[in-house]
Amino acid sequence: MNGTPLIRLSDVSKVYHLESGDFTALNHITLDINEGEFVALMGPSGSGKSTMMNQLGILDVPTTGEISIAGKNIAGMTNLERTHMRRDVIGYIFQKFYLIPLLSAYENVEYPLILKYKKRDTTGRAAAVLKSVGFDEEMSSHRPNQLSGGQQQRVAIARALVNDPKILLCDEPTGNLDRKTGFQIMDILVNLNTEGKTVILVTHDPKIAEYAHRTIQLEDGRVVES
Amino acid sequence: MKDIFFDLSVRSVRLNFLRSLLASIGIVIGVVAISSMGMLGTNMQLLVKDQLTTGINIITVTPDVVRAEPGSSASSSNVITEIQLRDIRDAAGINEVIPIDRTNTQFSIGSNDGRGTIYGLDPTDIKNIMNVSEGSPLRGESDAIVGATIADRFNLKIGTRIKIGEPNISVTRPVIRVVGILSSAGLSSSNGINTDNAIIVSDTWYTSEFGGGNEYDQVNVYLKDVSTLAAVEDAIDKKVNRNKEVVRISDSSSRITSVSSTLSSLTTFILAIGSISLLVAATSIFNVMMMSVSERVQEIGILLSIGTEKGEIRRMFLYEALILGIIGGVIGGIMSLIIGYSVVSAMIGNTAYFFRPESIIYIPAGMLIGMIVCIVSGLYPAWRASNMDPIDALRNE
Repeated sequence: MNGTPLIRLSDVSKVYHLESGDFTALNHITLDINEGEFVALMGPSGSGKSTMMNQLGILDVPTTGEISIAGKNIAGMTNLERTHMRRDVIGYIFQKFYLIPLLSAYENVEYPLILKYKKRDTTGRAAAVLKSVGFDEEMSSHRPNQLSGGQQQRVAIARALVNDPKILLCDEPTGNLDRKTGFQIMDILVNLNTEGKTVILVTHDPKIAEYAHRTIQLEDGRVVES
Repeated sequence: MKDIFFDLSVRSVRLNFLRSLLASIGIVIGVVAISSMGMLGTNMQLLVKDQLTTGINIITVTPDVVRAEPGSSASSSNVITEIQLRDIRDAAGINEVIPIDRTNTQFSIGSNDGRGTIYGLDPTDIKNIMNVSEGSPLRGESDAIVGATIADRFNLKIGTRIKIGEPNISVTRPVIRVVGILSSAGLSSSNGINTDNAIIVSDTWYTSEFGGGNEYDQVNVYLKDVSTLAAVEDAIDKKVNRNKEVVRISDSSSRITSVSSTLSSLTTFILAIGSISLLVAATSIFNVMMMSVSERVQEIGILLSIGTEKGEIRRMFLYEALILGIIGGVIGGIMSLIIGYSVVSAMIGNTAYFFRPESIIYIPAGMLIGMIVCIVSGLYPAWRASNMDPIDALRNE
């Protein structure tokens, strides 16, 4: 874990130009996250958590400053290269699961494999990953709207894992789940972290944040505690 | 390899089945309109062309218009002489040559007066080139055969008597008796004579009444082989017109060209009307595709954020448009076959040409155009979907 960190933010700012004036969502943030870390990102709403997640997830680019992920400078990439980074290096887990409604549970997990290899999965990887997150195999042909929240989040985790990403970005992963299911999901994330995944978690639940090794507090677009 | 984006498109179409079906119906109507209109026009063209080509093997030789040449007495009378006829026969070779006398005259049937053309032909020639639908061929001296139109107009029956010439109290007019009525020739004057309005009598009767024995007003040459048309015309021209332009040689090939081109612009015109419905269909496909995109904004956001390429998103929506096009095209193709056949049989009354390649091609062509219209209508919605910002799209509820 020495050498260059997995994620490096150098003096990153994000400014939105609104009609009411400029709004600084991220204000000169410098931050390193090493491989294998379990980081919780906390802060009140409007503190810049979502903006930060979008930057880390390569869904957006900073106004100023530099972000490098897995040794690559995001700003210098083409749109297609960023798309491939999102597909191969990062796994996304959302509060609202965001499964593809037209695909079955299995197909949702298979989907990133198809994106990467441009063909259907014949290796059994999608099924194996789905099983590893404790998803009932019999439900794999169900559509997302036929699944409970906990089951949907397991499918979403399997989908995030299937291309073996280095980073798991979790945006309030337990926010739409009851406490018990939430802790089950957190247990899965902890296991994945011990297996070597870098987990970045956005939450405003201190109980959830306790799972992390490091907590980064954001306020008004600045890091106040790290 | 089964494409997951195709699967997604199929499922989206199935999920919004009614909406997709309605959009496809637009394409069905468009395809049917284009195919049926095209087939209607083509069948009409083919029918008329065939009718016209039955008369194309005839060369008509007429005396050249008399020119008033100063200082010379009217040397060239406007008739074809027996010598010229012999020359024509020589030049025509194996082809049949029929000399015809004709004149415009007044006539009366009972108290009805009319004007028409009276033709004098050898009764054997009449049998060869004309089709008597009712009655019998010429036998007696004062027998006559009449055309279908004139028979209809003056209510001529077998046995009706016609007085020929101007009504004049002091002169007894010659009388002929109708013995046969010709079948209607329509557009196809297949014998080089406008028989529908003709009164046809024997050449002996004609010359006894109008004079002009050994003189003819027209000579028809009936070719055995149409491809020799130009050669025969040339031979006649060289032989008869060697010193001076005394006869005019003509055929109906130019008429066919002009009628065909008129008909083909007519076909284009009705096709244009048909394509308006396809334009309407394109609008409805566009609308459905835009709805599909705007209903699936969040889904597009998910797809983009987890690493779907823009091109893949575009493909997904173009597939969807193509599926609508295929559904509409196939149903439209089948219906074109049925509706096109009905329209052709109802409006032309002849389906003999329907399955000819130049007619039936309108069905696959219509289907193809329908599908292309669908894809073109899907281009902008697909482009819009692929260029969404994933963050904004995800936030869309």
